[in-house]
Amino acid sequence: MKGLGNVIAIELKLAMRDPMSAFFALAFPAVILWVKMRNGGTLPGGLPTIDAIVPMLSVFVTGLASLVVLPATLAQYRERRVLKRLRATPASSTMVFGAQWAAHMLLAALGFALLAVIGLIAYGLSGPSNPGQVVLAWVLGALSLGAIGLLLGAVVPSGRAATVVGLAIFFPMVFVSGAMSARETLPESMRSIGDWTPMAPAVQAIRAGWEGQPISLPALIVMAVIFVVAGGVALKAFRW
Amino acid sequence: MTVIEINGLQKNYKDHKVLDGVTLTVGRGEIFGILGPNGAGKTTTVECASGLRKPDGGTLRVLGLDPQTQRRELLQRIGTQLQEAALPDAIKVGEALQMYASFYDKPADWRALMEEWGLAEKRRARFASLSGGWKQRLFIALALVGNPEVVFLDELTTGLDPSARRLTWGLIRDMRDRGVTVVLVTHFMDEAEALCDRIAVIDNGRVMHEGSPNELISAGQAANLDDAYFALTERTV
Ligand SMILES: Nc1ncnc2c1ncn2[C@@H]1O[C@H](COP(=O)(O)OP(=O)(O)O)[C@@H](O)[C@H]1O
Ligand SMILES: [Mg+2]
Repeated sequence: MKGLGNVIAIELKLAMRDPMSAFFALAFPAVILWVKMRNGGTLPGGLPTIDAIVPMLSVFVTGLASLVVLPATLAQYRERRVLKRLRATPASSTMVFGAQWAAHMLLAALGFALLAVIGLIAYGLSGPSNPGQVVLAWVLGALSLGAIGLLLGAVVPSGRAATVVGLAIFFPMVFVSGAMSARETLPESMRSIGDWTPMAPAVQAIRAGWEGQPISLPALIVMAVIFVVAGGVALKAFRW
Repeated sequence: MTVIEINGLQKNYKDHKVLDGVTLTVGRGEIFGILGPNGAGKTTTVECASGLRKPDGGTLRVLGLDPQTQRRELLQRIGTQLQEAALPDAIKVGEALQMYASFYDKPADWRALMEEWGLAEKRRARFASLSGGWKQRLFIALALVGNPEVVFLDELTTGLDPSARRLTWGLIRDMRDRGVTVVLVTHFMDEAEALCDRIAVIDNGRVMHEGSPNELISAGQAANLDDAYFALTERTV
């Protein structure tokens, strides 16, 4: 356990030292927040935009870390034979996955914290009504999206391919799932497609927790199922 | 006492037969050299022995363990430096040693290892910024960080300048003096002659000659291992 903590801490430092990862996780979501808040205002229904946008962008940054940064790191490690060297040690593939997941989710959590601080200071963000529920929803979202990212990283041939595939999955998903534009502003057709993406339950559950609405049990179950299935397939498909 | 026993090892890549019955034994505390032309199957042999590749036939025992079925147990007790491997660009020397130490049940003290192998001054240097000699030194330290009984070194000195190569020889002798069994893949004859207690020459997927450097020199009726190697491989071609 102490060993795993070490590995996670070092992998997190490596992610922070990589300009691309740091930009994607920290700077990019903050820029989106600024762009989205230039008009400020309230959403249909009367909710202040900032109280929806910060929880939404927490899924955005988690999705980016999970679906783009994590698979690229893993695939690049394979390409450069970093994984091959690891394979000659007692480190297991589960440990490699666990450390990569945890380091990237800590990176996303930093991005989320940064968004919350900016929201509080600059835009009068209200704190979460139900923090425990937000944390639970976020962790499940990180597990489900992270497992999909691990699966991508397990099968793509190169770091470059991982970035291309990751972005191609991330961007459409983020638009239709309501992680970038609030669900209530999306056209019905888009929303009905978006509800089928793995990001939608995370967006709904985190927003519900933030706004103090009852969390939907099916959303939590869907995330748990995605985590188990995608994580299991990723472990099976993993090549060093 | 025998530490490595390889018997009739076979390995094919598709229909290309790379190993066709490699047989050799390595005793405890030896520096054992594996020589042979490029593509002879040296890397394939040591990667089968360290559990990284799956043989297609023959038997293999390292420290009495089967590298396929008892891989996890074996990996706790051996150290490896691979011909082709890397670390993340941004990882620092101290971080790499600390991380690798954490993989083992009974690791060496990585800070002491860093001092001993002269890496302390590079502790905060990133992997990508290290010269070839420093990278190799780090790879040696990583191979030793689990306190291994056997170490596999695959072309450790290829690409090093002559002085770095000499320095590495000293490091390899130090390893042996601490009781570690060393399997050294090389294609430098002077290196094999200077370091190895015994040598196997692999060609065409088999061990063509096995013995001490002196035995190979007499068998080749030559003045040194370099001449002996060419005399012996000539005769077998
Ligand atoms: N993964 C692989 N797939 C296909 N062929 C391989 C693979 N690894 C090695 N070979 C081939 O097997 C032969 C022996 O390779 P190798 O063991 O690396 O030789 P050496 O280390 O003696 O130079 C070479 O012809 C090489 O091209
Ligand atoms: Mg080789």
